[in-house]
Formats: sequence, C-alpha cells, structure tokens
Amino acid sequence: MRVAMGILLLSLAASGTAAAADAPHAAAAKSSPQGDTWASIAKLPDWSGVWDFDYSAGAPGGGLVRPAPPHLTPEYAAKYAAYKERQKHGEEQQTSTANCVPPGMPQIMAQPYPVEFLFTPGKVTVAIEAYSQMRRIFTDGRKHPDDPDPTFQGNSIGHWEGDTLVVDTVGFIPTSTIAPGVGHSDQMRITERIRKISDDVMEIKQTIVDPKVLTEPYTSVKHYKRHKDWEIEEYICSQNNHDSADPEGRAGFKIQE
Amino acid sequence: MKAFIRTGCALLALACLATTAVAHHSTAMFDMQHTVTIKGTVTQFDWTNPHTFIYMEVPNAQGVQEKWGIEGMSPNYLNRNGWTRHTLKPGDKIEMSIHALKDGRKGGFCASVTFPDGKVMYNLPHRA
Repeated sequence: MRVAMGILLLSLAASGTAAAADAPHAAAAKSSPQGDTWASIAKLPDWSGVWDFDYSAGAPGGGLVRPAPPHLTPEYAAKYAAYKERQKHGEEQQTSTANCVPPGMPQIMAQPYPVEFLFTPGKVTVAIEAYSQMRRIFTDGRKHPDDPDPTFQGNSIGHWEGDTLVVDTVGFIPTSTIAPGVGHSDQMRITERIRKISDDVMEIKQTIVDPKVLTEPYTSVKHYKRHKDWEIEEYICSQNNHDSADPEGRAGFKIQE
Repeated sequence: MKAFIRTGCALLALACLATTAVAHHSTAMFDMQHTVTIKGTVTQFDWTNPHTFIYMEVPNAQGVQEKWGIEGMSPNYLNRNGWTRHTLKPGDKIEMSIHALKDGRKGGFCASVTFPDGKVMYNLPHRA
C-alpha cells in the first residue's frame, strides 16, 4: 500500500480536504466501488513494490516447464505447421521483438522483467519494465468501446472480486501472438485473474479464447515474486540493439558498434 | 597464448534457462550447448539496453590481436545481480566464457567473466 498511500498523500496535499469530503458521494455513484476513490483505494490489497516473473524451476510456467501448446482449429494448425517448416530453413528464428517492436498482449505479461501495479481512482496501471510498456486497466465501470482500435495492449476493463482483480481485454494488433507461431483473430479475448496467493507471491491466471484459432480456452498460470527494494527501470530497446532480424525472421548479430 | 579452451557441454538446464531469460531475442545464433573461453583486454563496455555489449582485443593463435564483440544480459538484469556499469572498463585483462556465434565470426554471448584475482562474475543466470 506504500505506493497508493504515497499517491494519496500527494493528492491530499494538493487539494486539501475536498477530495476526501467528496469521496463517499463518488463511491455511491459508481457501479464498481472498490478503488474508485482515493479513500477506497486504501482498502485495496497491498500490491506495492515490483513483481518479477518467477521463472525458477518449480514455479508455474517457470523453469524448464514449457507451456502446453494451445489446441488449434484446422486453419491455424496448418499455419502453425507452415511456421515450423519455415523454422527448419532458418526463418522464424526471431520475432519482431528482436527488432525492438514490443510483443503486445498476451506475451508482454510473460517477460523476464518486473511489473508494477499503480492504483489511482478508477484505474489500475501496470508499468512493465520490458520495452518500457504501460497497460491501463479501467475499473470505473465503463464498457469496452463498440469498435476499439487495435492496440498492442488491447482495451482492458477490470473489476475487483474481493482481493482479486479480474481483467477483460479485447482489441489487439493483428501481429501479436498467443504462443510462438500462433497468431490470433479479431475475436481474441483475454481474461486475467490477478491476486496474491501469499504476501510476496502474485498469481496471474490468464485465459485466452479465440473461436477462429483455439478449439478450447488456453489457460496459463504464472507467479511473480515481490521485490520491495526494486524499482521499474528504463528499457529502451532501440538504444543499442545488435540483434535485428530480417523480414523472414532470420537471426542477425552485429558485432561492430 | 592459447586463445580457446573448450570447456565442454554446458548443462542443458542452463541453456533452457538462458533461453527463457533472454526475452528480447532467441539464442538461435549462439551455440548454447557449449562454451568457449577467450582471454584478452576489454576495449569498451556498453551499459545499454536491450543488452550490454563488451568489446575485447583477443590475441589469436599467431599472437595477432583480433577484435571480438560479446553480448551480455541487460543492465536491468545485471544490476540486480551484482554488476554495475563499472564492472568492466577499458584495459581490464579478463577471461570470458562465451556461447560463440555459430557462423564463426568473432562474437557471442557472455556466460561469465573471470578476473585476474580469480573472481568470477556470472552474466547468464547461473545455478551453483
């Protein structure tokens, strides 16, 4: 709660007592009361610090355990087979991240770099160290736009079920992938259930549905470990990238500066 | 001076762990199954994203200095694991264990650095 309390103190310092006095009215008017006001943010679980994906052996989704491949429709199974064939010829060794294009959802939530959750009224912001990305999860009761512009992170609507943040995300760029070699359609939808399972372990259960691509929901569970003494650091991928790939995904490596 | 000392097959576990940890790109261009050791002088250390980068002058079997370029983990990862931007500086004499480029050019990915006093700094995730 350190982060949220810090924000709360800043807010009070800036606006005197007006925000606190207005809070009960604002809370009553909203459909999703938890975290909609500075006062209600204080009742949210303590997610302060930064959370690093636990890729050690034994953690779900970590260590040497490769995630089970998704079950694909015939159309996408054929595309995946073609992808594997191209890999045999040296193509598809890299994804666009080798050229510093962020992966977007869902892969951006599976990076070996920490994330931080920031609470402000009606919104949870996820600061992602990898590629210096940001996700905005609206918890103020709004709906998705009818026709959202496709974006890397998608359009995220969240609500609190007790101490669990439930996030529904739609509207993704066409080039993001569910898993290596598995694309998605405009019908992809991602649900995340985010909760602490102990004081210093965050669990994110992610379920992807896409009727054009997947024959059943694709679910993964990942753990993140809390580091109270870390900060999210800068990550500008284009600063000094030696690993650009060609358009077919053949790996490159530039030795000289 | 013998430029290369083949140090044998790295643990498969380490290779898999490294693949997981190097998010920005796959390790397709490196021989992740083996390490070789190069010995020489640091000429430049880039403390940058998405990767640190180390330039070295390494004498070949005939004693001729050759320039090598070695990628390392990001500063974000390394500064949480004991490294700083001052860990290496031009003029430092070091031995470096690397996963060499498969194409034979003089480059690779840093696994660890050994200093003249015997101190070892791991770059890739390492399990004792």
